[in-house]
Amino acid sequence: MSTIQRATLAAEAITLAHRNFTVADNLSVALPAAKVTAIVGPNGCGKSTLLNGLARIHTPARGTVLLDGKDIHRLPSREVARKLALLPQDNTAPEGLTVADLIRFGRQPHQGWMKQWSKDDQQAFDHAVTAADVASLVNRALDTLSGGQRQRAWIAMAVAQQTPLLLLDEPTSALDLGHQIEVFELIRSLSHQGKTIAMVVHDLASACRYADHMVAMKGGKIIREGAPADIVSPELVQELYEVSCELIEDPATGAPLLVNVRRNAHSGAA
Amino acid sequence: MPDKRTTIANSILLALMLVAVITSLSMGTVRIDPMDTLRALVGSADPMTTFVVNELRLNRVTAGLLAGAALALAGCLMQTLARNRLATPGIIGIDNAATAFAVASVVGIGVSVAPPVMALAGAAAATAIAFGLAGANGTRGYRFIVAGIGIGAIAGAVTQVMLSRVAIDAANAAYPWTVGSLNARSGNSVLVLACGLAAGYGLLMLISRGLNTLQFSDAVAVALGTHLKRVRILGLAISVLLTGFAVSVCGPVGLIALLAPELARTICKPGKVPLLASALAGATFMVVADLLGRTLFSPLEIPVGIITAIVGSPYLLWILLKPSQRSLT
Repeated sequence: MSTIQRATLAAEAITLAHRNFTVADNLSVALPAAKVTAIVGPNGCGKSTLLNGLARIHTPARGTVLLDGKDIHRLPSREVARKLALLPQDNTAPEGLTVADLIRFGRQPHQGWMKQWSKDDQQAFDHAVTAADVASLVNRALDTLSGGQRQRAWIAMAVAQQTPLLLLDEPTSALDLGHQIEVFELIRSLSHQGKTIAMVVHDLASACRYADHMVAMKGGKIIREGAPADIVSPELVQELYEVSCELIEDPATGAPLLVNVRRNAHSGAA
Repeated sequence: MPDKRTTIANSILLALMLVAVITSLSMGTVRIDPMDTLRALVGSADPMTTFVVNELRLNRVTAGLLAGAALALAGCLMQTLARNRLATPGIIGIDNAATAFAVASVVGIGVSVAPPVMALAGAAAATAIAFGLAGANGTRGYRFIVAGIGIGAIAGAVTQVMLSRVAIDAANAAYPWTVGSLNARSGNSVLVLACGLAAGYGLLMLISRGLNTLQFSDAVAVALGTHLKRVRILGLAISVLLTGFAVSVCGPVGLIALLAPELARTICKPGKVPLLASALAGATFMVVADLLGRTLFSPLEIPVGIITAIVGSPYLLWILLKPSQRSLT
């Protein structure tokens, strides 16, 4: 359980389009192993589209996504699901579904036709319940939970899938500060156990604090990539969000911290 | 994991179905004691009883069971694929198109193919057109449903035109088709339906895991390893097959495809598409509705389709309007 097999995920010159509108053009990115990668950028920059491309939800118009060096769209879907888990933004679930039911769905890629719930499945289930701290919630219906609890239940499902790769699309949107920290710390502890993680994050400050690697996107292109401390600068913030700020080092964690964030002088006057 | 609540629900439905079958075999112009009916079924009753049960009634009840199960299963499937409780083959026009084609063969407009084949062709044609008109979204979203309703209306009108243009005897022969009745079935079409139901249900077992994941968003289903395209196409094909064959036996009996899965979802554990429970509930509904139609105003017979509409509509309204209680359990 503690040793997680490795897998690599990379995009090679992929172009992603909605109908005829190109959202992301010619992107290449590789996820560093056992690290947390944050994809950041302004609204509509294509960060969720890139994540969906990596997760094979969105088929690229050109280029390939490689899972362990093989074209992800040519691999059997179940085989991919044993290596790559996804937490999408749209988390609708059937009415009345309990947390335990949801987590059990995470074992589906490991179960064969008519293959019953196995010892491995139960171990993975128990591990996921502990990791996501949902033991007190397993018998509750999802629709009775708070936003933070529900998000933990979904993460537990993805953890039960026991994949070396985990992709999350805005895992903390709609959560309050306490629940955000809770989810981010869970994500970080999963990466410490060896999972390779990529997440789309809205909040640059959280991305700086909880990610080891950052991919900054704007207008469908990757403009900077690297460790947050290396690439986050007032110039980058200016370019991404068109706001001015100053950077200091967080005295507690050493992560870059944005202060005095304000609209640009000229745009403020308009 | 076999689930207790679902097992209990299925057992209850099975028991209800058997009671409905025995009752239906016992009731009619000649009343038979239920014990004698059972004896007749195993071949140890007197010749008269055996004749009434096995020769006169058993075929009809079997046809009802199979058609009800097929319609309910098709409805449950289509609802799951479209993620919409209203998306049953009846509402999106597949029944009507199957009927139009079958009526065409009954009134003999230049074709002499067996009704099951014609009904299946009609069902497939309607689905293909609705699918084509729905565009990139396929069975998802309202376009598919709206396109289907339009096609159903056209098919209904075509049926009426055919009936009004042919000789009165031919129109009378085709009439039961238009309201849904177990009176007009042919032996062959029941056999075809039985084979179709067995094959369809077997194929469904192969994709049942994938169907379960369709209760989530597409992204979650894919992430859990579901081959979306395969499940959608196979599911749609099975739904069309079941509808076509069922309509060739009983005509467009409305609401069973809507009600039976709804009941099944209410009593089974959430999280799994209740295929077996839907089929059992549909079979029971059909047999009971046919029994009521035969006996309520005997010797006058009310077509089963009219009974399901009268009994089913209030039940449907109740289900749609009652506040959800799932979260309390």
